[in-house]
Amino acid sequence: MKLAATGLAVQLGERRLLIDVSLAIAPGELVLVAGRNGSGKSTLLRMLLGAQRADQGQVLLGARALCDWPARERARQVAFVPQQPDCPFDFRARELVAMGRHPHDPGERDAVVIHAAMRAVDADAFADRPVTSLSGGELRRVAVARALATEAPLLLLDEPTSNLDLEHALVLAGLMQRLAREGRGLLVATHDLNLLAPFADRIVLLHDGRVHADGAPVEVLSAANFATVFRVTASGSAGYFPRTFTRREQGI
Amino acid sequence: MYMSRSRATRVMLLLAVALIAFFVLHLGVQREAPNFADSLRSLLHAFGLGAANADALHDFVVAQIRLPRALMAVFGGASLGLAGAVMQAAFRNPLAAPDIVGTSAGAALGGAVAIVAGAASQSLLAVPICSLAGALLATWLVFLLAGTGNRFSTTGILLAGVAFNLLLGALTTFVVTTQFGNYAASSDVLFWLMGGLSRSAWPQVAITVVGFLLFSAALLPRLQQLDVLTLGDDSAHSLGVEVVRARTMLLWVAAGLTAATVANTGGIAFVGLIVPHLARLIVGPVHRSLLPTAALLGALVLLLSDLLCRNVPAHWNLPLGVVTSVLGAPYFIVLLRRHRRGEELQ
Repeated sequence: MKLAATGLAVQLGERRLLIDVSLAIAPGELVLVAGRNGSGKSTLLRMLLGAQRADQGQVLLGARALCDWPARERARQVAFVPQQPDCPFDFRARELVAMGRHPHDPGERDAVVIHAAMRAVDADAFADRPVTSLSGGELRRVAVARALATEAPLLLLDEPTSNLDLEHALVLAGLMQRLAREGRGLLVATHDLNLLAPFADRIVLLHDGRVHADGAPVEVLSAANFATVFRVTASGSAGYFPRTFTRREQGI
Repeated sequence: MYMSRSRATRVMLLLAVALIAFFVLHLGVQREAPNFADSLRSLLHAFGLGAANADALHDFVVAQIRLPRALMAVFGGASLGLAGAVMQAAFRNPLAAPDIVGTSAGAALGGAVAIVAGAASQSLLAVPICSLAGALLATWLVFLLAGTGNRFSTTGILLAGVAFNLLLGALTTFVVTTQFGNYAASSDVLFWLMGGLSRSAWPQVAITVVGFLLFSAALLPRLQQLDVLTLGDDSAHSLGVEVVRARTMLLWVAAGLTAATVANTGGIAFVGLIVPHLARLIVGPVHRSLLPTAALLGALVLLLSDLLCRNVPAHWNLPLGVVTSVLGAPYFIVLLRRHRRGEELQ
């Protein structure tokens, strides 16, 4: 099922956060959304999640408007990984992941799905630890596992690699790529273009509230686009990501 | 201190047994007659088991004074414990509680207005209904003032709570003093502001018990929803919770539980704040275990506090709210310090 936004516009007071933004995400693709700070990435994600209404335009999930979906049915289709997965109470990692089953009626499959989700992000080792004792990277993996536990075919991730060290960021990038290969659709808002571009099928650049470019990484990450959107000069072999990283140890 | 579900069940069973034991103790161990043996005889007699006491007054004291008082402690404490746990999840803040955000003070003001306006003598339901209105209004106002967007900072909640508690407390004092002679007024003000179980007759108990059953039944299908709400609005939304509706409904329930108690006991401080924390320490934060544990612990705390009140020398005239405050305030300060450290670390 496809998640598609057409003509989204949002205004906050005098400030126009998004102007006529259209983009779509389908199962099986990993799409990055990038742009300068305040370019409207998080706002766009919240709209695709249905957590915020647009002033203009609409979001369709399949053939139906996203806001017409019953909440739990929608949650079984679109999952979310927040930028700062924080919780004021000291749940165990496994309990946080188990909350991913909320959109489903309780059943025997729950335990299996939760276990599989935790294994997918290599979180078995700290499943029973209270979340306050987890590092930033571990916490992020728990949030991803919770999104996986919903079994939703579409995942929206807000800055999933921020505050992660290089190794954990790579592990997460590899996981996201694998999820896309397995048929899930992932939309990732990120500043980490260097790291994530090699894994992406498509990149959407937001600039001044509009979609400045939308296409394959090599096309989108041109020196011209870098100059316009980020006001920097890019150098390197392919005109983007000056250096690629590969994780030395084989893991997940 | 994390435990499996079966261990949590065992803890709850243990608490339930302790509650029953202290319930019987509360009925029998008080500074005035009847003593423990006579009280037990009266209790059995009240349930149609065994003969009446030689002194009919003993049977009357147990059946009409002590039994309703103990039941009020149990269901009032359970209601406040539940209300606190629900508020902490709904506000996503471990320092939210009915007595901190002003819900209790609103309920107390509503109740006092009903009594002073003479509505209480017209209908038994006047005080609880006015308490409910006061509780809802106060909670709603704090909700509006303390939140920025949909986040409720500790500072926002505490500041709004301080302002409302002072304002509502002052209004309650004013309402009561305008109507009564000084002597009667001072005792009434004290009752509403400090809380107590001395007005617990059977009709009042019935109201608190019905309120507890009604509102806690509304929580039963929402246990997992409470867990999910603690993740934050966007995450909760993404997991299929209609956040605004769910939070409004939960705050209604918390206000209802508070009002059904405070209407009959006045504002009893700190039970709603501290009890959920103790419960979380024992069984963890998952609401399926947390809520029943908080209810049982709330009942135990209030029963034990009242047991203390009933056994200090009579001339101390110790109000129940003083005991819960003396127990709760130091814990609150520790919590606040820990919370501040946590915020600084972030």
